[in-house]
Amino acid sequence: MALLHSENRPNYPDYATAPTQHHFSPYADNGGSVVAIAGDDFVVIGADTRLSAGFSIYTRDQNKLFRLSDTTVLGCSGCWCDTLTLTRILSARMQMYQQEHNKTMATPACAQMLSTMLYYKRFFPYYISNILVGLDNEGKGCIYSYDPIGHCEKTTYRAGGSAGALLQPLLDNQIGLKNMQNVKDSKLTLERAAAIIKDVFISAAERDIFTGDNILINIITKDGIKEDSFQLRKD
Amino acid sequence: MFDAAGNPPPFWHNGPTPGGLYNFPGPKTAPSDFRQHSQAPVTTATSIVAMQYNKGVIIAGDLLGSYGSLARYRNCPRIMKVNDNIILGAGGDYADFQYVKDIIEQKIIDEDCLDDGFKLKPKSLYCWLTRIMYNRRSKFDPFWNNFVVGGLQDGEPFLGTVDKLGTAYTDKIVCSGYGAYIAVPLLREALEKNPTPSKAEARALVEKCMEVLYYRDARSYPKYQIATIDEADGAVVEDLVSVNQNWSLAHMIY
Amino acid sequence: MSILAYNGGAMVAMKGDKCVSIASDKRFGIQAQTIATNFQKIFEMGPHLYVGLPGLATDTQTVMEKLRFRKNLYELKENRPMSPKVFSAMLSNMLYENRFGPFFVEPIVAGLDPGTYEPYICNMDLIGCPNQPNDFVVGGTASSQLFGMCESLWEPNLGPDDLFETTSQALINAFDRDAISGWGAVVYIIEKDKVTVRDLKTRMD
Repeated sequence: MALLHSENRPNYPDYATAPTQHHFSPYADNGGSVVAIAGDDFVVIGADTRLSAGFSIYTRDQNKLFRLSDTTVLGCSGCWCDTLTLTRILSARMQMYQQEHNKTMATPACAQMLSTMLYYKRFFPYYISNILVGLDNEGKGCIYSYDPIGHCEKTTYRAGGSAGALLQPLLDNQIGLKNMQNVKDSKLTLERAAAIIKDVFISAAERDIFTGDNILINIITKDGIKEDSFQLRKD
Repeated sequence: MFDAAGNPPPFWHNGPTPGGLYNFPGPKTAPSDFRQHSQAPVTTATSIVAMQYNKGVIIAGDLLGSYGSLARYRNCPRIMKVNDNIILGAGGDYADFQYVKDIIEQKIIDEDCLDDGFKLKPKSLYCWLTRIMYNRRSKFDPFWNNFVVGGLQDGEPFLGTVDKLGTAYTDKIVCSGYGAYIAVPLLREALEKNPTPSKAEARALVEKCMEVLYYRDARSYPKYQIATIDEADGAVVEDLVSVNQNWSLAHMIY
Repeated sequence: MSILAYNGGAMVAMKGDKCVSIASDKRFGIQAQTIATNFQKIFEMGPHLYVGLPGLATDTQTVMEKLRFRKNLYELKENRPMSPKVFSAMLSNMLYENRFGPFFVEPIVAGLDPGTYEPYICNMDLIGCPNQPNDFVVGGTASSQLFGMCESLWEPNLGPDDLFETTSQALINAFDRDAISGWGAVVYIIEKDKVTVRDLKTRMD
C-alpha cells in the first residue's frame, strides 16, 4: 500500500483508480484558413473547405465564406459553432439595417458593426479569426481583419486562420514587396491576385494539417461576386 | 519531490504548498462546483453511423446504455422517427437525449394541433438543434450529445449533425464516437468507388460498419436499430437488427 | 511560455545544386527585451560543416562547446574530418543522452560531405530526433513562418547565388512577422571550394 501511494510513482492515467473527470470546454478548434487580397477595383478572398477537429476531418466540403451583401463577404475560421452563431446574427443585423434604412449596409459600416459585435462578447468571446472583404463607397477593394475580441485593422492583403502564420510573411513579400530592392510597384491585377491565392494555399496544405481538400474563392468587383474553386491535397 | 503536474511538495503533512493556502481537513460545507455535475455524461450511448443513398438517408445506432465501462442497460433505443420527413439519431448521454426527445415530441404534437398542414422539415429541426445545443454550451451546461438528423426536404435527401458545442455540418457521411475513426474511412472508401449507392448497397455498408464497430468498440452491442427515410418507403425505424457475428478470425488476432 | 522561446531566434538551411545554405537571425533577447543584435547561433565545425543551435541561448553555447570538444576528439583519434552525417548522429546521440533533462536547442546541421561534396542538411528536435529532407529545414520561434516561406520559394537545383537570394528572402520575411526574431541576419553559402558569409541589413524593430 505504501508503494501505491509513493510520491515518486509516475502517474499513468489509464490505470488510475479515481473516477475519470470529463472536463468541458465550450470552444473547439475546427481549423481552416482564409486569405484575402485587395486591388484598386476588386478584392479576392479564398478559404479552404476542410472542417476538422484534432486529427479527424468532419467534412471536406464546408464553405467558410459568407455573403453579407452584394459587395461584402466574410471569411471565418476557428471555432465553427461560434462562426455559425456569429454569421446568423450578422445576416439578421444586415436585414434589419436594410429594412430600417432602405439601403444595403456598406462594407466599412459592416466592418464597424462586426467589431462592435465581437467586442460585445469581450468576456466570453467568439473564437473566430474573421476577415471581412468588400468594396468601399468609392468602389475600391478593402480588407478588414479582426482578432477574436473585435480589434479591427484595414489592410490590402491578409492571411488568417490555422495557416495564417505560414502565409502572412509570404504575402508581405509577394504583394507588399517587403525586403525587395529595385522592383517597381506595378499595379496588382485580379489575375495575379487569384493566382497568388491558389499558390499560397497549395503551400499551406503541404504543412498545415487543418488546411486542405478544396479552396473556394470569391472575386468581388463592381459587377458582382464571382465564385471559383480549386482542388488541394486531401491527406 | 515535485509531483507529475510540477507542483512543489507541501511544507509539512497536509500543509500548504509554497505560495498556496492552507486547506482545513474535514468535509466541505457545500459543494461549490454544483455546475460540475451536469458537465459529465452518465449513462452513455456510443457511435451513430449514417449516410445518404441515392434517394434517401440511413441511420444506425446500437441499443446499449453504458455506465462507464459497465454495459448496464441493454435496450436503449436512440433512433427516433420525428415525423414523416425526419429521422433522428443520438449518441452520448442518454438522459440528455430523452430530455431533448421529449421536447421534440411535444413540438410535433403542438404542430399537429395547429392542423395547418405544415410539417417540420429536417433543415428546420437541424437548425433548431444547433441553437439549443449552442445555447446550453454557452451556459456551461451542455447537452452531452451528438445528434444526427436525416430526412427529405424538397425531394432531396438531407443528412446533418450537431455536437454538444453546437458545431454543425452536413455531409453525405456522418458518424459520431468511434464511428468517426472506424466507420467513416470505410464509408468514404466505398463512396469513392460508388458515389450514388442504392438503398440495399447503403444498408449493406452500414451493417458492415456496425459489425466492425461491434468487434472493435468496447462500448458497443450486437443489437441495433436501423432507420431509413426515402420517398418510396417513408420513414421507417427497424428495431432489433443484429450483428452477424463471425469470430472465426479471432484466434489470429493477438 | 516555452523555455525554447525564452530568447527567440529563427534559422533555416537549404539544399542547392552542389551547395548548401544556412542562415539565422542575430538577436539575443530575454523574452520581449532585446539585449544584443550580434549574437552568434551558427558555428563553423569544419571546413564544410556548420551547425546552428536555435533555442535557449545558454544551451546554444553549452551544446556548441560540447560538440566542438567531441568533434575535435574524433578527428584526433581518426585523423580524418568528420562528415556532416556522422556529426548529426553524434549530436543526436548526445541530445538523447539527456532525454529526461534536455538541452533546449533544436539544432540544424548543414554542410558538404568531405569526400563527395554531397550537400547535406539535417535538423532535430531537442531530444535528438533527426530529420534529413531533400529541400530545407527550419527552426526557432519563427518556424511556422519559415515553413510557409520556404514551401513557396524553394525549388530544386538552385545555384549558389539563387540559393543565397532564396534563403535570405525566406528568412527575412519570416522573422519580420515574429516579434522575438530578427535584428540582423547572417547567411552562409557553403560550396566545394569556398564558403561565403554575408551579413544582411534588415529592419531593426
